Amino acid sequence: MSDLDRAIEQLRACRLIPESQVRELCYKARELLIEEGNVVSVDAPVTICGDIHGQFHDLMELFRVGGDVPDTNYLFMGDFVDRGFYSLESFLLLLCLKVRYPDRMTLIRGNHESRQITTVYGFYDECIRKYGSANVWRYCCEVFDYLALGAIVLGASSELEPTTSSANDTTQSTMPIDDTELETEVLNSRGEVTMSTYRPRQRSSSDASTDSRNISPPRDISAAPGQLGAPTRSGAPGTGAGGDSNGSAPGSRTGAVLCVHGGLSPLIDSVDKIRLIDRKQEVPHEGAMCDLLWSDPDEIEGWGLSPRGAGFLFGGDIVKQFNHLNGLSLVARAHQLVMEGYKEMFDGGIVTVWSAPNYCYRCGNVAAILELGEDTSSGGTVARSNGEYGRSNGVMGADSLSTVVSPGRRYRVFEAAAQDTRGMPAKKPVADYFL
Amino acid sequence: MAMELQPPDGRKRVKVYELRDNDWFDRGTGFCTGQVLDEIPRIFVESEDEPNRVLLETKILKDDGYQKQQGFCPTASAQLVSPTMKYVLTDLYHAIRDLDCMDGAERHGYGAELPRGRRMRGDLVRRFALPTLLRGPRNWATSPEIEQIVRAASMTQPGRDALSKFIIRDEYIGKLVPLVTMAEDLESLIDLHRLCNIMKSLILLNDNTIIETVVADQIILGVVGALEYDPEFPALKANHRQYLADQSRYKEVVPIRDPLIRRKIRSTWRLQYLKDVVLARILDDPTFSVLNSLIFFNQMEIVNHIQANAPFLRELFSVFDPRNADAKRKDDAVQFLHQCAAIAKNLQAPSRAQLFANFISHGLFAVIAFAVKHPNPAMRTTGIDILVALLDHDPVMMRGYMLKAVNEKKTPLTDTLIDLLHAETDLGVKNQLADAIKILLDPQIPLQDPLGRAGPDYFKLRSSNLLSDAFVQQHFDESSKRIFQPLKQLADRESLDDLTFQEVTLYAHLVDILTFFVRQHLFRTRNSIQSESLAPRVAQLLTAPQKHLKLVALKFFRTLISLQDTFYQALMTRNNTFGLILDIVLETMPRDNLLNSACLELFEFIKRENIKPFILHVVEKYREKLEQITYVDTFQSLCIRFEQLQGYEAEADSTLFSQEEASSARRIPLNGQRWQGVKGLDADEERYFEAGDDDDEDEWTTQDDRGSLAVGTPNGSSPLMVKPLVDYPDDDDDEDTMDTTKPDDVANHAQSEPLSVADVEEEAGSNPPSPAQTPPAPERLAEKRRRDDEDEDELVKLAAGPKRRSSTSSNSSAGILNRKKNLSIGSTGSEKSAGNLSGIASAAPKRIAINLGPAKTATTEADKSCTEVSTDGNEKENRDDSQGDEDG
Repeated sequence: MSDLDRAIEQLRACRLIPESQVRELCYKARELLIEEGNVVSVDAPVTICGDIHGQFHDLMELFRVGGDVPDTNYLFMGDFVDRGFYSLESFLLLLCLKVRYPDRMTLIRGNHESRQITTVYGFYDECIRKYGSANVWRYCCEVFDYLALGAIVLGASSELEPTTSSANDTTQSTMPIDDTELETEVLNSRGEVTMSTYRPRQRSSSDASTDSRNISPPRDISAAPGQLGAPTRSGAPGTGAGGDSNGSAPGSRTGAVLCVHGGLSPLIDSVDKIRLIDRKQEVPHEGAMCDLLWSDPDEIEGWGLSPRGAGFLFGGDIVKQFNHLNGLSLVARAHQLVMEGYKEMFDGGIVTVWSAPNYCYRCGNVAAILELGEDTSSGGTVARSNGEYGRSNGVMGADSLSTVVSPGRRYRVFEAAAQDTRGMPAKKPVADYFL
Repeated sequence: MAMELQPPDGRKRVKVYELRDNDWFDRGTGFCTGQVLDEIPRIFVESEDEPNRVLLETKILKDDGYQKQQGFCPTASAQLVSPTMKYVLTDLYHAIRDLDCMDGAERHGYGAELPRGRRMRGDLVRRFALPTLLRGPRNWATSPEIEQIVRAASMTQPGRDALSKFIIRDEYIGKLVPLVTMAEDLESLIDLHRLCNIMKSLILLNDNTIIETVVADQIILGVVGALEYDPEFPALKANHRQYLADQSRYKEVVPIRDPLIRRKIRSTWRLQYLKDVVLARILDDPTFSVLNSLIFFNQMEIVNHIQANAPFLRELFSVFDPRNADAKRKDDAVQFLHQCAAIAKNLQAPSRAQLFANFISHGLFAVIAFAVKHPNPAMRTTGIDILVALLDHDPVMMRGYMLKAVNEKKTPLTDTLIDLLHAETDLGVKNQLADAIKILLDPQIPLQDPLGRAGPDYFKLRSSNLLSDAFVQQHFDESSKRIFQPLKQLADRESLDDLTFQEVTLYAHLVDILTFFVRQHLFRTRNSIQSESLAPRVAQLLTAPQKHLKLVALKFFRTLISLQDTFYQALMTRNNTFGLILDIVLETMPRDNLLNSACLELFEFIKRENIKPFILHVVEKYREKLEQITYVDTFQSLCIRFEQLQGYEAEADSTLFSQEEASSARRIPLNGQRWQGVKGLDADEERYFEAGDDDDEDEWTTQDDRGSLAVGTPNGSSPLMVKPLVDYPDDDDDEDTMDTTKPDDVANHAQSEPLSVADVEEEAGSNPPSPAQTPPAPERLAEKRRRDDEDEDELVKLAAGPKRRSSTSSNSSAGILNRKKNLSIGSTGSEKSAGNLSGIASAAPKRIAINLGPAKTATTEADKSCTEVSTDGNEKENRDDSQGDEDG
């Protein structure tokens, strides 16, 4: 058993690892994260999680409900620390898992992954309390600076495999031919379906032979410069009959899913602009990087002031336009407490996922994680950009934009960890005192 | 409506109080019944002693009655009052039982709405319980009533007040305490859970006196004892008592003899334990702040006691006498001082200053010196923590001491720290050392906050600084030489492939410090960068295999670029710096990673800000490399800019100098020094123009901070997009392309190019550019001269009260300076903030920041620094206006 595995074991038991190991872990993580783009590409299937906020036992519950690493591919959208009493254990465990299974674990930065915020909301204090000095806090903050700002999920299936009430693994059972497909499904922590929604099936699965759906096609937009602002679509809307005759399947191309902690920014009109940020810095108080981590969607038009004092509020029109322009079908974000664990807004254009049940040990909310299935219809292979440039499928073939459908979404809702599986959550008291 | 409201166990024993002139008079004890007579619910209380005497008879009225009561009777929990006679039962033993009813009544009382149907059941009539709690441990059945009563009472403010009053008067908590052990003896978990709930509710009543009672010596163990049995965790029991009873946790280096202070220390510790551990999960904000303020006031008294206690301090510091062999005691004493310093952080500045002054006069520096050389890294950390606390408290003072030491030919603290930084192997300590050195060697801090130090103090400080300025510079140069020595030695190194881990960390810290210096006080750093030729060394680090080291080096150059200072620009264009950076781009090119993004951001910045010397230099020298990079359009755009510049120069050469000057000023507002070249303006005019310049300064710093995105591209054209047909220019683009690329310019372009290139080369290579050549050059020369002047007289300028404008409206080059200084105040003020980075970010306005102004009132989670943003937002607004004028 390697040191890393031992550390994982120890952290899973909610016991801290020594400072020297933390340091080593943080250095390893840094080496890893420096190779990631500002927007990480992640292939479906993936399970997207929202804020954790140091609620270690609930994180363990999350893993119980969502499947363990590395069996499940996870994407955490930031805010690992602060508020809860086990920020260190939670973050270090996630970081260990990241280092151990880099391809199965994606961590992006939240607004709480910052020096200023953590000194106010508990993480700094916790480090001092648990390690006696701010060193571990410094190591962790250094890692925060390296965390990616967002992720883009490619190759998600538009259709969910129906869940039988017990199983949570997506078996290869085929859906009976029907004219509807399962779009969303909500499951409780026991894996029982509590809600499903269907939508009319697009004519996609019918001609799989010509299915060359290009999730991430080469960029050749130079050929059609006019597309950007005004798509010149030649087919009738809704038919999916684009003017091109390249044989691409009309119908349900599942758009990519952008995951960020907060939301959109008025300074970012395309996903690729995020790439131009030098992210290795403290979260600024304004600017694109700040907005990505601080903004919130709201029922307004256009952009609005954020009551948080950082970032903006943005309305459905903004989301719609952004998604359209970038070929996205969904923006997944966290950052806001939602009592039901998840909340879709703007016709499913954006979803808030919140993964800290009974937030602050008193809010009484449930938590959720979002599973996106893998699109197996194209033989299970997706052109993965994997950091390569060319991710901007946003502007590719505007003619197919009209048929971008949102991915099938399976929400697993769970409650705070059962009381007896954890100790009484409490901060660690100071050991000795003079005054 | 139910007719009979008697509880099964008979009548309740109650106490009746009458409210007269805001005082409660005891009308006696009796038994209470609720009845419905004539369809009207009533309450009767018959006297205990004289069974026929009715102490209270009152109707339970509907809305009218209750609403009136509200006004009369603020203590509402157990209120039971008719419009004519106001009675309240505040005694817990004799209290209301029926929560449901209460709840309804309360709603009613607040006039919100009539009680809903179910609340109008007969039990609207209050029944008073007499929990015979204190009669004996067997009678536990009544405990839930207390729990309910307490909980119900805490629902409303009047209820809380009444309850608190009672609890205090009756010393009720003291009475509850023995019950804990009784219940434990009986192993009655239910009762323990109830006690726990009661205790929680009582603490959350949020009353200072109650909380102080709770932490009293004879009470505390009982209280936390009860709180060990949290019904939310029925299977668990905490061990608070064990922790709090452990006397050995309290360490005394030197005994504190004052019993009052000793008690304060104990109760502070308990309060902290309550806050952090026992109640951490359930604390609401008000109680949290009550706890905090209690702790604060205790600590204040303790610290005041200590600093005023000379014998104590003497004894404390004598521990460090070299003749004293007790190492453990020394360590403890360091810890003690560390804790004092940590507490002092929360105190108000005057008492903190006093404490530190007393410590210092007793020999705190010797202690720090002792601690930072301690073999145990933890102790070193502690020692530096104390130092950092001092630095945070008053960097001026600390530097004063340091310079004094230099003056007296003693080893200054900085030298010690620098040596430690070079030698330190513990990375955490190293980190701290680097931070401390940054603050200590930042000689401009004293000038930064004259406003904060208004008063005689300020002038004293200023004069002392005036005197020592040359000296400061000298010391700074020497220290720089010392600190960057390892960096300098890199020159002898052929390959960076064999860097050890320690070396990598050291270089990272050194470059980081250098970046900080450059950003913080660009003039002072020039000397050392020049004489030690540090820039080539940093450039060397761009080739290190360690990517994070590359990043640190890149950050350094990125900072140089953003300064837009001729001296540093010249540095950048030498040593093949851009070549190395481009190599990184080429190396990382197909991949999307942090290093690549950082490089792109750097070039984007040059492109966006249209920094001509760099555009000329880069394109001229590295055109081939640029052309290889096609996956983003940044580099092509640079080439296009270059072409445009060429054309522009052809035009410039053919026009009158003065004209060219004026137009160039308009064209490159982002350079911000357009008026610097014009001499002979009178003071007023100068100020006016300088103010204008400053706006431009804001503009470019802002853009720097905005990350990489050009705000000025509302048309949504992405820099990444290849724009083969229509090139949507961004704002500054407009200014150049519109003005300069006239058709004949383009035609001229080819032939004029060689000449300009030569000029560029010259400018890049040698420091003083010739004024007649590239358009930016004359300005820059003048600007440089001017800056040199300022370097010397800026103290005077800053000191000149009436002339002094707010830092943002002062002249441009000093404007940068001032702004930086303000920033560093912000960043040093909060110890842990990310130094210059966050500082920069917090103060720089941006276009969209206008909107943030009103938002700050509603700030929820954003930390306070956001308010800085909003103030700048206003300036920004002004700036936008003025710019609008210009444009028009």
